[in-house]
Amino acid sequence: MNVWELIIQQPLTNVLIVVAHFFGDNFGVAIILLTILVNLALLPLTLSQIRSSKRMQDLQPKLAEIQKKYGKDRQKLAQEQMKIYKESGIKPAGCLLPMIIQMPVWFALYQSIMLALAAVPEGLLNLARYLYPWPVVFSSLPLNPYFLGMNLAQPNFILAILVGASMWIQQKMSATPTDDPRSAASSQMMTWMMPLLFAFLALSFPSGLSLYWIASSLIRIILQYRVTGWGTLRRKASTGQSGKKYVTFESEDAKKTTAKPKPKDEVIITDKESLEKSRKKPSRFSKFFEGRDDDEQSGE
Amino acid sequence: MENTEKKKNHNKTAGLIALLVAAVIAIALFGFSCVSGLTPIGWSGGVESNGVLYVGSLEGRLVTIDLIDESRQWAEPLKYPEQSGLFGCSAASACGGGTSRVPVYATPAVSGNLCYIAGYNGKIYAYNTTNLATRWIFPREGYLEALVGGMVIEQGKLYIGCSDGVIYALNSETGDILYQYKTEDKIWGTPTLADNTLYIGSFDKNLYALDADDLTLKWTFTAEGSIFTKPLVENGTVYIGSFDRYLYALNAIDGTLKWKYMADNWFWSQPVIVDGTLYAGCLDGFVYVLDPATGAEVAQPVNLKSALASTPVIYENYIIFAVHEGFVYKIDLDTLEPLLIASFESTLDGPLTLHEGVVYLQTNDAVLQRIDTSTGALLPPIYLTTQ
Repeated sequence: MNVWELIIQQPLTNVLIVVAHFFGDNFGVAIILLTILVNLALLPLTLSQIRSSKRMQDLQPKLAEIQKKYGKDRQKLAQEQMKIYKESGIKPAGCLLPMIIQMPVWFALYQSIMLALAAVPEGLLNLARYLYPWPVVFSSLPLNPYFLGMNLAQPNFILAILVGASMWIQQKMSATPTDDPRSAASSQMMTWMMPLLFAFLALSFPSGLSLYWIASSLIRIILQYRVTGWGTLRRKASTGQSGKKYVTFESEDAKKTTAKPKPKDEVIITDKESLEKSRKKPSRFSKFFEGRDDDEQSGE
Repeated sequence: MENTEKKKNHNKTAGLIALLVAAVIAIALFGFSCVSGLTPIGWSGGVESNGVLYVGSLEGRLVTIDLIDESRQWAEPLKYPEQSGLFGCSAASACGGGTSRVPVYATPAVSGNLCYIAGYNGKIYAYNTTNLATRWIFPREGYLEALVGGMVIEQGKLYIGCSDGVIYALNSETGDILYQYKTEDKIWGTPTLADNTLYIGSFDKNLYALDADDLTLKWTFTAEGSIFTKPLVENGTVYIGSFDRYLYALNAIDGTLKWKYMADNWFWSQPVIVDGTLYAGCLDGFVYVLDPATGAEVAQPVNLKSALASTPVIYENYIIFAVHEGFVYKIDLDTLEPLLIASFESTLDGPLTLHEGVVYLQTNDAVLQRIDTSTGALLPPIYLTTQ
């Protein structure tokens, strides 16, 4: 057993089996709970990543401005961009670093789910290598793969669609509005490509993995909502007009710094107004999510 | 005009970037984070009859090898109903990267002029031994769930357990179903027939003793873990390993517990009794040497340092084990000293076959390896693939 298996994969696999045992031998519940647990452990990193993305998003008007101003002088453009980042206290790699740190954990969780499923004889034999000498672990195997009438060891069409849908919502919420046509097209492609790819993969893998992807996406959607609101998902719907290159949440501070004559072809919309309108009739659900992100509150 | 051209170029570049990112993620999922043991491969052993060895090849078909002139004959490849997944992957294979070949785990069986093979595709096939022409297929229409365990044939009846949890008794001449018995979970183990009683373990943690005449229940024994091992029946005692790490000894008459012995991992392969001593290989890498009457340790366990999933064979004064990591050992029954006789670049989990002092085993490259047990010499391998 290598270091990776010993330190990460083996503990996760055993925890997954134990959780399944204590929740009525329900592997589906175990996958969801472990996904939540791992997300909680990674919460600081995830929030840091989302906040960095949001700050980058907030800078888009400024960046668009200098893009127009120095579009032809690449060196000057880069200098100005770095200056803005520095002034705002943003490290461009700030959104990527937490994601890179989280990736091994996601892979380990994915591996553990596939391992614990032990859908084929070789898988069951292989699983024996990873088990801790706890009676509960040994007596629980092989795990019951059924969850809500679905066999988690087999691909499932409904779960594959849910994987695509939840991932699309998450992608849409976290997409950065941009004035650069290249970035905009790239962002648009990613919004569709990723959900399609994962839905496609979900049709070929045991649906236990789909359940994990759906749970991860839902958690990510909740966190994203807490920090940035519905993001581009809502803005598109609420503005719905052509010719708007980008929109932004404007804090009072931001208004002061960006209170300049607006270029002809761009309109900045203070999306808070539309948000307020939509919140006239608060539901129990929206009340739960009424709390805004710390960053946003401090900016108001 | 120029702007439109520019926009098109931008879109092209963006598409390429998105595709590249998607490809990297796909490769990461399939490659970097790959977990072994997701694709069924198979580990069929061999059975010898009238100088011919019958093996289920990793290519997914029955192969016969004449042990005198080494000539081979192949049956038609087994088939899956249809590929329901993507990337050429069926639901049965449950993983990306699967192929259309049907894995074979069950060792073939021979009775009279018929030979039988059970596939992971959920079908049982009977062929004429002379030309491997198909005699019958069960079920004729549709497919059962995956068949992993082997068959037992006795007095014109073929017995087999299935992943659907059902034990089937078929007419071995016609393939007609005679009786069936439903358990609570899937069956991957091979049954044992002794004194007109069929013993078979299920993942529902029960060992079932059924009347071989009509599959009526005689008794059950409930362990604390699932049962995969093929039961060993000797001197009125049934020996069975379980996933709870115990090896159980039960009264064959009523299933009452005589003794149990706990190891550090599962007893996966069938134990053997030689000269009044029980040898049980375990996935913890040890061979446990026990008194079959009391379960007391007769000697210190023999450490073979790798999981023992393969059923051993006995030759003269030696017991021969193959371990998961590809090594074959013979243990001297007097000294209990293990001697390495062969090693392969392959995992070895299938049962060994012994005929006239030669051990036969199939490696992951679909090659039948042969070891002379006396000298430990590796004889030229026999290729089981058609090409």
